[in-house]
Amino acid sequence: MTSATADAIGSPPTPLKNRRSKLTLRNTMIGWSFILPNFIGFAIITLIPVITLFYVSLTDYNIFGKGDFIGFGNFEKLVSDPLFGRSVVNTFYYAVMHVPLTIAVSLGLALLLNTKLRGVAFFRTAAFFPYITSIVAIALVWNLLFSPDYGPINEFLRFIGIANPPGWLTSQEWAMPAIVIISTWRDMGYYMILFLAGLQTVPRELYEAARMDGTNALQRFWNVTLPGIRPTMFLVTVLLTIASFKIFDLIIVLSPGGTSAPNQATVVLSQFIYQKGFIESKFGYASAAAVVLFAICLGATVIQFFINKKRSA
Amino acid sequence: MNRKFAIAGGLAVVTALSLAACSGTTSDTETTADGPVTLTLSGWSIDTTPEFQLLADGFEEATGNKVEVVEYDPAEYNTLLTADLGAGAAPDIITQKEVKYVPTLVDGGQLLDVSDIDIPASVSGADSYSVDGVQYGTPYRQDSWVLFYNKDIFDAAGVDYPDGSWTWDDYDAAAAALTTADHYGTYEHRWQSTTQGFANAQFDGDIFSGDYSYMTDLYERRLAREDAGYQIDFATSSANSPTYQGEFGKQHAAMLPMGTWYVATLLSQQASGEADTFNWGFAPIPQVDSSTIDNPVTFGDPTGFGINAAIAPEKVDVAKQFLEYAFSDEAAAKLAAIGITPANTSDAVVDAYFAVDGVPTDDVSKFAWSTHDTRPENPTSNDTAAVQTILGTLHTEILTKAKSIDQAIADAEAAFKAL
Amino acid sequence: MSAPELTEAPPVSAPATFPEPQREKGAVRSTIVRVVGSILLVAFALALLIPFAWMVLSSFKDSNEVFSVPVRWLPDTWHWEHYVDLWTKTDMATWLRNTIVLSTVVTFLQVLTGSFAAYGFAKVRFPGRDVLFLVYLATIAVPWQSYMIPQYIMLAQAHLTNTLLAIIVLQAFGAFGVFLMKQYFESIPEELSEAARIDGLNEYSIWARIMLPLSAPALASLALLTFVNTWNDYLGPLLYLRSKENWTVQLGLKNFVANNLDADYAMLFTGLTVSVIPIAIIFLLGQRFFVEGIATSGLKG
Repeated sequence: MTSATADAIGSPPTPLKNRRSKLTLRNTMIGWSFILPNFIGFAIITLIPVITLFYVSLTDYNIFGKGDFIGFGNFEKLVSDPLFGRSVVNTFYYAVMHVPLTIAVSLGLALLLNTKLRGVAFFRTAAFFPYITSIVAIALVWNLLFSPDYGPINEFLRFIGIANPPGWLTSQEWAMPAIVIISTWRDMGYYMILFLAGLQTVPRELYEAARMDGTNALQRFWNVTLPGIRPTMFLVTVLLTIASFKIFDLIIVLSPGGTSAPNQATVVLSQFIYQKGFIESKFGYASAAAVVLFAICLGATVIQFFINKKRSA
Repeated sequence: MNRKFAIAGGLAVVTALSLAACSGTTSDTETTADGPVTLTLSGWSIDTTPEFQLLADGFEEATGNKVEVVEYDPAEYNTLLTADLGAGAAPDIITQKEVKYVPTLVDGGQLLDVSDIDIPASVSGADSYSVDGVQYGTPYRQDSWVLFYNKDIFDAAGVDYPDGSWTWDDYDAAAAALTTADHYGTYEHRWQSTTQGFANAQFDGDIFSGDYSYMTDLYERRLAREDAGYQIDFATSSANSPTYQGEFGKQHAAMLPMGTWYVATLLSQQASGEADTFNWGFAPIPQVDSSTIDNPVTFGDPTGFGINAAIAPEKVDVAKQFLEYAFSDEAAAKLAAIGITPANTSDAVVDAYFAVDGVPTDDVSKFAWSTHDTRPENPTSNDTAAVQTILGTLHTEILTKAKSIDQAIADAEAAFKAL
Repeated sequence: MSAPELTEAPPVSAPATFPEPQREKGAVRSTIVRVVGSILLVAFALALLIPFAWMVLSSFKDSNEVFSVPVRWLPDTWHWEHYVDLWTKTDMATWLRNTIVLSTVVTFLQVLTGSFAAYGFAKVRFPGRDVLFLVYLATIAVPWQSYMIPQYIMLAQAHLTNTLLAIIVLQAFGAFGVFLMKQYFESIPEELSEAARIDGLNEYSIWARIMLPLSAPALASLALLTFVNTWNDYLGPLLYLRSKENWTVQLGLKNFVANNLDADYAMLFTGLTVSVIPIAIIFLLGQRFFVEGIATSGLKG
């Protein structure tokens, strides 16, 4: 239902085309008047530097802007750079594991804590603490928890019968899964908040009606909750996906060896960009990698955007 | 509710804007045609790194020109300085905190040619600031790596102190003999330089040759020591992040290969109680064999100054005077007196250093400090950062046992070729 | 896809009484579920808080004791004086002042301009709207380090470096707020705005008097998350706030881990603990707003 339709009822007969374009103009002006305050700041502070980035990716600038225009030379080099390929693979590996896991956990938490029971304030706050804990503390404590020989996690695994538990952060195969777990632990409080807000938009009457229809909890979840929080789900999925593709700080502190040198098992795109740009001063090259990262995020977002549009029709 | 919110918000905005206007802005440097000139200099951790202010004060006393120290964050020094250089707001004197960034600055046209400054032979480390034969900076400080050792633990274990003739075999044997249930024989920090620095220096390794097989010996020794339990293994060290100051200072390890800068830290920590009180000294680092004992081979990088290419022309002469002052005998003696290892190690400077309260004054320590063949940790080249990253990955792979030494070296050599 | 309309009477269900034994069995089962659930929940909460607990305990240790092998949880000696030293020996008061100013102003501006722009994106149809919105989203996709240098040079030329205003300008106009509020506005039924328009309200009044009050949970979430992000922001202030009197808490504290040469982790954690307290308090007090909402009874569909 659009306001155009509402407008059309009972108004004097003016040519459809005129009415439409006049309405469009009015809507455009109104729309822009709302967007403008934010957009001006955004355009100057963010949009312009980002556009600069695209230009720099076509050059071989060092960090001081000294260099030449080389067209797509950087991108050709990226294709044959084994470290870049490794970064892309690791980034996808991380995102594919992290996004569904975090959505499931944070939505579950939100559903669980979407109540007025006593003590729920404590649990909600506790869920948020990982997000505000210092990353130095996070790295150290999780290294301990995941310690292959002495850590409680492997103690527990041995207890339930797994003879050779993984090496987690010290091993090449299990380092990334360990980082995914830690990252989900850190993010779940953050996205729980977004889901909590979204859950408030689902009217209680719908649950009651469904209950009276004889549905169980799972059916209510599928048929009432999920459709009801679709806008929030889109928000969380997009933000989470982009954040996962951009992950940087946890990788740096949790890589096997804990140094900033890229590690085959955990090097991700953001780290590659930082390494090439700030350590090796190959700013043009790093910008090209950033453009690739951008394209990946944009592609994922556009796909999600269209799925969301289709679902909301 | 909306109204109150809006009013509160408006007040907040107004307050913030007025506070923002009152907060400090970068000050312009003053220049006067004749009369004292004020230079700005980039430094870090000013409260705990007194060398900058020391040099600034000394220079003012000597020449009447002022030097203002501009503080930068030490961990992100290069990034911040780069941002300022890009914005045209960097200080006149650029302290070169890490040698590996010098070629980048030169490439970016940020440093002035200072080839006309005469650097005497007693000053080491000048080559690190030379790019394509042109001198772009001068050193004022040259740390090198030595072997710190805990005399009390040695006495208790009945092991002889290092006497300046040790080879790596002697070191391994001592580590074994010194390990008890209470402490390790030695502690080697996680940095790639703790093994590679010595490999490059003592085995004449060239990191730009693409052949890294010379690193095999030292890595094999290190893995053997870790497996035998004479030092903390790398994986545990990475997980627990022990500090080298803590490990040696709290007597968790009897030996510690480390740079000479640690002398000042250990002294101050013993004074404040953060480190235990015990007798210690330092000796030349173990050598490959006895042929280099008279001039032990070790590694280290200098710290130096460069001049901002965008400096006001009338200040250039004074800036060059400052660079000369920083490695002069007078300044070097002052630096030595606060526990810094200057680039200039003439005899007067040695005396000043060992006159400091608490510095071990035995002959071996004096010898280790003043006599050494220090090779650069980071040879100056455009590819240094890239190659060091490849080697950093190699270091981690070997010590976390992700790959065998041969495999890691082969992969590093392949990565080097791909550069 | 819409929920079923509430126009028919609920279907007649089975007789209201159940046989007694079944109800008792159900009660026992639900108690067990509740007890096990509570245990799991408490264990879970512990897992959430352990790293933080370690951080707090470490703030009482000797700085050389913080990282050790093997790890120690409890300090050997309890250095309570760290918490006093934090205020007397460091500039924590200034850092806190700056951080509070920045967080408050940025949060206010983000919420204001974000919800304002979100209304335009959510409720007004005009050509190019979706493309423009995608552009907004797209910029979130670019890692900040990639464009932070050109951005810095731009702000430097505007003479904004080393001022708190630089941070405000950087953070206040982000796409995140617009995105969050737009999604929330989309779930507010159009009928409410329709009714308001018929009553003669213009779009701006609809935003202020209808959209905002109905969006309390989203506004609260946006406010909290923006506040926390600005409070904990490190790289932005690091790059822009150079003079000591401009430092935020994160900047000031990082100084304790100055270099390889001098690391005072105990004081760092002392400062971090103190820094978390205001956020925890704001969160505890404000988190009920996440679940407070005005029911949009019967209109969804």
